[in-house]
Amino acid sequence: MSWRNVKLIFMREVLDQLRDRRTLFMVAVLPILLYPLMGIGMFQMTAIFSEQPRTVVILGADNLPDLPLLEGDHFARAWFRISTDADKLRVISDAPETAPSADPAVNEARAKVLEQALQMRELLKRRVDGENELEAAREAKRPIDEVLALESKVHQLIEPLSQRFHASGIQVLIIVPPEFKQNLLHLRDELGRRGADDKVLAPIDYPRPLIVQNSADEKSVIAHSRVTEVMREWERSLLRKYLRESGLPEHLPTPINPTPIDLAAADQVSANVWSKLFPSLLVIMALTGAFYPAVDLGAGEKERGTMETLLICPATRTEIVLGKFLTVMLFSASTALLNLSSLGFTGKYMASLASGGGAASKFGDLALPPFSSLIWILVMLVPLASLFSALCLAFATFARSSKEGQYYLTPLLMVTMGLTVFCSSPAVDIEPFYSVIPVMGPALLLKGLLKATGPDMTLYMYAIPVLLTSVGYSLVALWWAIDQFGREEVLFREAERFDLRLWVKHLLRDKEPTPSFTEAGFCFLLILMLQFLSMKSMQMAMQVATPEEQGVLQIRLLLIQQIALIATPALMMGVMLTTSMRKTFSLRWPGFGRLGWAIMLPFALHPLVVELQASLQWFFPKPPPGLVEALKMMSSESLPLWLVILAFAAAPAICEEIAFRGFMLSGFSRAGKISLAVTLSSLAFGIIHMIPQQVFNASLLGIILGMMCIRSRSLLPGIAFHFVNNVLAILHGRIGETMPDTGIWSWLFRHSDGMLRYQPALLCLAALAAIALLHRLTRHPRIQTVETAPNVDSTLRVLSVS
Amino acid sequence: MITVERLSKRFADLQTGGFTALDGVSFNVQPGEIFGLLGPNGAGKTTCLRILSTVLRPTSGTAFVAGYDVAQHPAEVRARIGFMSNNTGIYDRMTAWEMVEYFGRLYGIPEAALQERIGQLFDRLQMNNIRDVLGSKMSTGMKQKVSIARTIVHDPPVLIFDEPTSGLDVLVARNVVDEIKSLREQGKCIIYSTHIMREVEKLCHRIAIIYRGQILAIGSREDLAEQYKQPDMEELFFQLIDEHEEALKATASR
Repeated sequence: MSWRNVKLIFMREVLDQLRDRRTLFMVAVLPILLYPLMGIGMFQMTAIFSEQPRTVVILGADNLPDLPLLEGDHFARAWFRISTDADKLRVISDAPETAPSADPAVNEARAKVLEQALQMRELLKRRVDGENELEAAREAKRPIDEVLALESKVHQLIEPLSQRFHASGIQVLIIVPPEFKQNLLHLRDELGRRGADDKVLAPIDYPRPLIVQNSADEKSVIAHSRVTEVMREWERSLLRKYLRESGLPEHLPTPINPTPIDLAAADQVSANVWSKLFPSLLVIMALTGAFYPAVDLGAGEKERGTMETLLICPATRTEIVLGKFLTVMLFSASTALLNLSSLGFTGKYMASLASGGGAASKFGDLALPPFSSLIWILVMLVPLASLFSALCLAFATFARSSKEGQYYLTPLLMVTMGLTVFCSSPAVDIEPFYSVIPVMGPALLLKGLLKATGPDMTLYMYAIPVLLTSVGYSLVALWWAIDQFGREEVLFREAERFDLRLWVKHLLRDKEPTPSFTEAGFCFLLILMLQFLSMKSMQMAMQVATPEEQGVLQIRLLLIQQIALIATPALMMGVMLTTSMRKTFSLRWPGFGRLGWAIMLPFALHPLVVELQASLQWFFPKPPPGLVEALKMMSSESLPLWLVILAFAAAPAICEEIAFRGFMLSGFSRAGKISLAVTLSSLAFGIIHMIPQQVFNASLLGIILGMMCIRSRSLLPGIAFHFVNNVLAILHGRIGETMPDTGIWSWLFRHSDGMLRYQPALLCLAALAAIALLHRLTRHPRIQTVETAPNVDSTLRVLSVS
Repeated sequence: MITVERLSKRFADLQTGGFTALDGVSFNVQPGEIFGLLGPNGAGKTTCLRILSTVLRPTSGTAFVAGYDVAQHPAEVRARIGFMSNNTGIYDRMTAWEMVEYFGRLYGIPEAALQERIGQLFDRLQMNNIRDVLGSKMSTGMKQKVSIARTIVHDPPVLIFDEPTSGLDVLVARNVVDEIKSLREQGKCIIYSTHIMREVEKLCHRIAIIYRGQILAIGSREDLAEQYKQPDMEELFFQLIDEHEEALKATASR
């Protein structure tokens, strides 16, 4: 490979992109302008918002007690936590001492509002009266039609009331009942007299004020919440005043009243804000930055007819892809960095504006993260940008036109968005399992590193797996992009007409002995979807079952799931889409030898699997409690062993093998690469197991099962292996505890947390046996003629004896 | 210089299952010769030339260009050919000079020699007036000139032209044809595909008539006229195609 060519292509593509107005706009202009513009917009919005005070009307203001609630046409500032909030509520009261305004129009408007409020009070009074009447009628057991008539009368009053309230422009209406002041004073006096006759105060009740609002109207809701705050504060002060006047301690109603202490320094507050914003923005922008240049460099090049020009130049495909990949990566990284710095500086500037205005910002001063954090951002950006660039380039190369490219890349954007939203949730922190997931690892690590509390050593340790896996994923994606570029059917795809009817016809007409790659992929998606859809009904069935029934029901559901949702789709597709069931499902007698080895292999693998699982427990997230319950049931003594074996060993062995090693493996093998077929089928087999730890186990077993099937060209060894393997797992759970671990047995077994574990000596033996058996099972099949020769079985017999 | 033996190419196709674009084609081309591939659209001309330019891999058969097998040593082949078709476009956001310079550099021509060579090419093709014009601003004729300059910037011994004049007006087409003539005089080995009879008559020493992936006849104009007793090229062409169709029908009905 010539780096000179890579550099030449890279330089040309960069220059080409820089001459493209669209790219420049997306990469440079948009981020630089977007955040300041959004900042300006926010300022304007807050300005507009604060200029609109809401109208509160108080009727019966004369009846308010002597602790002043009002100050002119506002509530008293003392009752607000932030005193300027007082200006956000305009109060119109019927108190006679309110000074008339100099402007007659204002006076007139006030009078009008008051007039409407009075009318509303009248309606409200009628409604209250009506309700009382209705209550009395119900109490007195009046005839039903009389009660109904009263009911509808009350009901009819709501509509005009609400309409009038809406039309009046009043957001909150407070009606203070007559004699309210006197009632409160009476209460105070009673409180003062309480010591005299040493009696418990008789309950005192009196009419309370009404506060009218409309919770369906946003303005009314905001005004109401402010009024509530004011009233609460005012009420407390009033209570304190009365307590004081009665010779009681003021703090009586608030005996606990803790003092909060906030340890967050200003820079920590801002670090916290950045730790939430930066990782998500970095991920999304790295993808967006890769998206458009990739489409232009891949599909755009085809569309403009320069792809072939480039393909006939001496540069190799790898050099071309690398040159393009580096270009996309450069734009991805610069988009992300420009966005981040633009957001950072805008945020800081806005915060300084806000603090200059007097009110302290709740985000602190938004000081930019320290230098070490900035370095980490750069370090994490490299694997992110390279992963997205390679993925986008591969998709874009596959696409025929820019438009098609955008269709293919949208799902990628959505999946990434989903992951980002998940990562930005405060409850999610990096843990071993997340650290190896693409996108999530870097995002969560960065979130931890930017956090205010400062990173600890464990977090730095995570950097190793995160970086290693991210680089690994990028390399795989890059390899895929190069592979795409090497395929002539991808580079020279003609615009073909897609006709669903024709396609189905073609599928059913042009059947081949084994399924195609796409059909195998579709089979997997079908099974996955069926599993997903059946989850709900299975859950519901389990919920209605009594605890005693649950065990058997679980078994039944599992059997149904295996047969109907895993084996049946694969078999149906096999019948409909292939000509040879025998070839598709590898229905062939493998010989006693291979079958025997396949039955023996699980015995050797089982201890290794148990220990591997136990030693990797820290890595995976904890399984949900429901699943733990279900697994316990497998080992519970309440169910007969044969039933458990049927559901957890026999059914999966047959059904899963039919689907994954039968249909899918033979379909995936059509791509020509055995390793790819085995990897894909075992990944599919893993993914169907849903829970991360099981996904891992099943994928590993899937590789062994796949190799066995390919080499023996038969499904039977796999079924035998799968069955024995699952039986061993069931027995391990059921009778593992009863195995002896004393005396000579202590060399082989031990117990830990009520689980049978295996000692190193046994593990070494098992490993040796497993290697030998695997070697036997996965060696290449001999040529057909030799295999059918009569002496083969005897050789095998000799081998098995020795 | 070019030796093609029993070259075949099959494509997968959704509707018909598969499609044979090229079916056992054999021919060879010498230096200083223009070899014409004459056939209607979809006859397999482009597929054949794409295999020769290493962009496609043959399903079976071999092809040697300048002594290298196209399937085994594609990079060596690409360094020794100039390929131009109506699919080899030019970059919109590059000037004429930049475009030719870029490909010259990819061919590994030393910088000083490259600048001199491009200067000569621009003089010869009368392109100095479009030297700094962006590809998106060029007329079809200007683009074609840039394409020719790009094709011959590394002075390759083998030149492959796939319908270079299709979609051009007569004036531009004439310029292209004249340029190819002058390349022949320099002793280049040229393969030229077209569906236009007159160009073949004017340019080519030898002609292969290709139809449905097969070569129906091959030879110089005079040889063909003598062999099929038909002095008119166009008549000869239709006669061969008709005969082939009838032969196909006969085998199908048998």
